[in-house]
Amino acid sequence: MISLQRVSKTYPKGVTALDDVSIEIEKGEFVFLVGPSGSGKSTALHLLLKEEEPTSGSIYVAGKNLAKLSSWSGVPKLRRNLGTVFQDFKLLQDKTVFENVSFALEVIGRQKHVIDQRVPEILDYVGLGGRLNNYPDELSGGEQQRVSIARACVNRPLVLLADEPTGNLDPNTSVDIMRLLDKVNKIGTTVVMATHDQAIVDAMRKRVIQLELGKVVRDQSRGVYA
Amino acid sequence: MRRVEFYFRETAAGLRRNGIVAFAAMSTAFIALFLFGLALVIGRQLDLVVDAYTGNVEVAVYLTDPVRADNVARLQTKLQALPAVESVTFEDKDAAYARFVDLFRNQPSVVENADADAIPASLRVKLADTTLYAQVTEAMGCIEDEATGTIVCTEPGVREVQDHRALLDRLSVITRVLSWSVLGVALLMLGSAVALVANTLRMGMFARRKEIGIMRLVGATNWRIRVPFLIEGLVEALIGATFAIAALFLVKVFAIDQLRGEVAFLPLIRNSDVLSIAPLIVIAAILIAVTAGTFGMRRFLDV
Repeated sequence: MISLQRVSKTYPKGVTALDDVSIEIEKGEFVFLVGPSGSGKSTALHLLLKEEEPTSGSIYVAGKNLAKLSSWSGVPKLRRNLGTVFQDFKLLQDKTVFENVSFALEVIGRQKHVIDQRVPEILDYVGLGGRLNNYPDELSGGEQQRVSIARACVNRPLVLLADEPTGNLDPNTSVDIMRLLDKVNKIGTTVVMATHDQAIVDAMRKRVIQLELGKVVRDQSRGVYA
Repeated sequence: MRRVEFYFRETAAGLRRNGIVAFAAMSTAFIALFLFGLALVIGRQLDLVVDAYTGNVEVAVYLTDPVRADNVARLQTKLQALPAVESVTFEDKDAAYARFVDLFRNQPSVVENADADAIPASLRVKLADTTLYAQVTEAMGCIEDEATGTIVCTEPGVREVQDHRALLDRLSVITRVLSWSVLGVALLMLGSAVALVANTLRMGMFARRKEIGIMRLVGATNWRIRVPFLIEGLVEALIGATFAIAALFLVKVFAIDQLRGEVAFLPLIRNSDVLSIAPLIVIAAILIAVTAGTFGMRRFLDV
């Protein structure tokens, strides 16, 4: 599903974020990307979304070589297959829960009947079936993150990329969010989650890829944080 | 349908959000397009005046009444022989009157007061080399009498030779200077209109950078992101164009139509002339929007 082959990324100022990294992730896997700040976790996610280009090496997502995707059609298609969730939720404050999720379908040109069917369905799935008409500032942090997970999943992506999704949440809420991500993974979505939340990684016992100074220093199935 | 509704809603929201900036862009577009149209109107008026004075020929040889066919034939041959002359056509009194009526068709009082018989027949001479117009006057033996200011021609049957060049030279210098300076100001204003429309687009994109970021992340195409802004620019420019066209009609009604009584001898532009300029103004408005879109969104929107 995801393949990084000898990927390096050096920024113009000479900072090396990734150094000759090779990673293979199969369809349906749940993978933690761990490591301290600046170890290259976020860069890896940016590269997968083709928000940045690698300095060398090649990246494949769902069989597509990212270097060969056109910005006019290839990149949008890639991103429709990649759901994204962030630490800061990235919700639109002037839109309701329903509108935040439907926005993601609307801007890729989905029909109204598809939107009207899928949006309540996915919000029900993440446990917000009763909050469709609330605004983000009326929700708790955990609920907001559920909205953003619903938005990421509503178009049924092959891969869910999560960048510190529990970074702003208390431990109990974090556990709930992890249960939800696990549930998303169980229905076949490949999940890649960057985090430095040790408790969560240890509790989940999933594959752990540890980065340090841009290199893979450990790749362990059913691993713990350190 | 869903897509059209989406674009429409986004555009309306955009215009509401930057009300004042959008208004500045619209009014600049209006002034620019109005001046552009005004320059075209002045140009059109100049053409009408030139037509009226020359009837599209360079030199007219007016004939004395009654017109004698043998005189016409002789003069025609003589004129045709001149190196300056390209062609000579004879216009009889009926044809001359018909042209006069057509020229002043929307100033009926001029036509009513004219005596059909007073309009002379003429030989219309088209010049191969317009700088040599004096040859015709010379060949007809016409000399201006210094004392009385009247023109006396020695060639039998010729009443007067009218080469319009001297008059036209003066007339066209005045109107061309006027027309070009208005056009110059219009071009400057068109430049500002482009800058201001581009600026509203940028402000709109800045205000909505979070939405744009999400759109990109979920896989919206470049066009899907850009089109609402392009439409917003287009709407601003077209509103400006609508007001500009309306203002030109007001100028026509309140300035030019007031002249109709004063200068009965001049043919004046009509509504249809203003109307024929309208599409050019709309095209200019579209160009403003497209240029502004290209410049305004270039930096912002690479996926």
